[in-house]
Amino acid sequence: MWLLGLYVLPLLGLVPLSLSEPLSRFGLDTVFTGRVANYSEVLQAYGPILLRSFSFAAIATAVGLVLAYPLAFAIRFRGGRWQPLLIGLVVLPSLSSFLVRAIAWTSLLGDNGPVLGLVESLGLTDGLNGLGVLRDGRLLNTPTAVIIGLTNTLLPFLVLPLVVAMQRIDPRLLEAAADLHAGPLRRFIRVVWPLSLPGLGAGLLLSLIPAAGDVVNPRFLGGPNDRMIANAIDNLLLVQLQAPRAAALTLVLTALITVAVGLQLRGRGLEELPLP
Amino acid sequence: MTQNRPHPRSRRTFLRQLALGAGAAALGPALLQACGRGPGGSAESAGGAGGELVISNFPLYIDVDAPGAPGSVARFQKDTGIKVRYVEDVNDVRQFFARIQPQLAAGQPLAQDLIVLTGWMAERLIRLGWMEPLPLAEVPNARNLVPSLRKPSWDPEQRYSLPWQSGIAGIAYNIKATGKELRGIDDLFDPALKGRVSALLEMRDTMGLLMLADGQDITRPTWAAAQPSFDRLEQARKSGQIRRFTGNDYQNDLLAGNLAACIGWSGDVAQLAMEQPDLRFLVPDSGGVLWADVMLMPKGARHPREVARWLNWVYEPVEAARIAAAVQYISPVEGVREVLAKDPATAPLANNTLMFPDAAMQKKLYVFGPLSVQEEARWEERFAQITEG
Repeated sequence: MWLLGLYVLPLLGLVPLSLSEPLSRFGLDTVFTGRVANYSEVLQAYGPILLRSFSFAAIATAVGLVLAYPLAFAIRFRGGRWQPLLIGLVVLPSLSSFLVRAIAWTSLLGDNGPVLGLVESLGLTDGLNGLGVLRDGRLLNTPTAVIIGLTNTLLPFLVLPLVVAMQRIDPRLLEAAADLHAGPLRRFIRVVWPLSLPGLGAGLLLSLIPAAGDVVNPRFLGGPNDRMIANAIDNLLLVQLQAPRAAALTLVLTALITVAVGLQLRGRGLEELPLP
Repeated sequence: MTQNRPHPRSRRTFLRQLALGAGAAALGPALLQACGRGPGGSAESAGGAGGELVISNFPLYIDVDAPGAPGSVARFQKDTGIKVRYVEDVNDVRQFFARIQPQLAAGQPLAQDLIVLTGWMAERLIRLGWMEPLPLAEVPNARNLVPSLRKPSWDPEQRYSLPWQSGIAGIAYNIKATGKELRGIDDLFDPALKGRVSALLEMRDTMGLLMLADGQDITRPTWAAAQPSFDRLEQARKSGQIRRFTGNDYQNDLLAGNLAACIGWSGDVAQLAMEQPDLRFLVPDSGGVLWADVMLMPKGARHPREVARWLNWVYEPVEAARIAAAVQYISPVEGVREVLAKDPATAPLANNTLMFPDAAMQKKLYVFGPLSVQEEARWEERFAQITEG
């Protein structure tokens, strides 16, 4: 019911808007004209940015997973009585505003900031330039910076469902595996990984969606070549005052995310997901 | 690398960054409002009903309270007994327009009694009939308005607007980072500065400077004449020459050393140069863009008499001089220069040609002319395609 009222209905409201035309140049009022061309126009103009948004989100999620698995594992199996505190520390950054975090990253990643200073003192600048991680020795206002910001934003959404899923893993299973001479890697692949899959599914759902629609990280950490789709929607609506085209682009984005989620859920019901 | 850092990131810089970023924070509310809710975020929550004068202005655009020296808002309140809610929530005039548009279009009053916006936006709002004529009969000090800003193109009869400050869009650079004095717009496209240059999201300033460098007349801008400059800008964005398109936030990147040169505003750079002496501001020989931010009273403003008191107060040369000394833009008030010259602490400002353009400077300054409604839409679309990738 909640989902219907708060999500589906407003979204359906966008459908006629996306097929309308602005009544006047300086108004957000529109008139319905069944203008399907709004869709082809935004797809043509913003197709590459859509693609970029999903690649950024996917990369950030992948990096996030690499960080989240050891973290969740450590919290679950090594946390002991510190477990609540550790979970608190994972969530803590999310309590500060997106904006403050993005701005904090700008000083860390700046040309004279500590991160590049470290990279330089380790002699990694040329190597990372070659790999495309740095652009001309810069980090701030590159795709890498956007992905770092996104990863930071979505990490708690990956860690928490994984911890919840791992809570259901009986530690004795790991002991048993060890008794059967399974090394740490094997224990992870054969025991932890399959049993944490529901948590992984939930984590992907919770992280990919907001990451694909992020506004703040690309604006502050990216350059003009690293804009994401929400920046385009923002500009269409608030600067160009093109509400119908903004609505069309929003619906395209929503449809793509829905397809992605549908693929993720296929063959696995929601009830299996340990949604917190 | 860290030892080369030109300027330590002070707490003040971080706070400024937050203040400037606040415009982006207003984005969420702005989206809601665009769907037909209330007006400006913080100004709205302040409420304008209780006899309080509500003013929206750009961030860092007035003298603020210092120990033992109350800022203009505090002094005005003390002098007049009028309570003021001064809100620094105009970060991007176009987004501000999108915020106030639904209410103004519906004929409802805003929470604000006075808003400060850039000249071209004032023209749009006046043309739409959403502004009230200012109570100039009760503002005797309006006669102190400098002649060059009288009857401007955006308000030919000078009924709806009075300038707050005006200023120049030109090139700001850090001489240590560029390694040389810059001479013109072409320097921004120098491959040696690749990725360390930014341009302004304010289309008329960025395009104006580029078009002037291209020998075009920006007082009568045309779509055809702008194409070479659009192409040049697009090329520079795609190649990575331009690191960012910014609002006021270029200031932090300049101080932090992320930018070597950028398109910026005269007063900002004058203020920053006090923190970072290596900063320079150049008005290219091809021309600089002169603009003005003006005070406007929206239709249905609840406190017109208090608005008149405020206008009269800020057009008093002594008060205007304090604001000018703090923001270091071009004051629209006659007599400010004399006031500044009298005080040894502010005397050097009186000789600053960026604050008081001399004849040679004035010859280099151009105001970006009006665009027709249809033309403007085309311009903004093309510009957005460049700035928003």
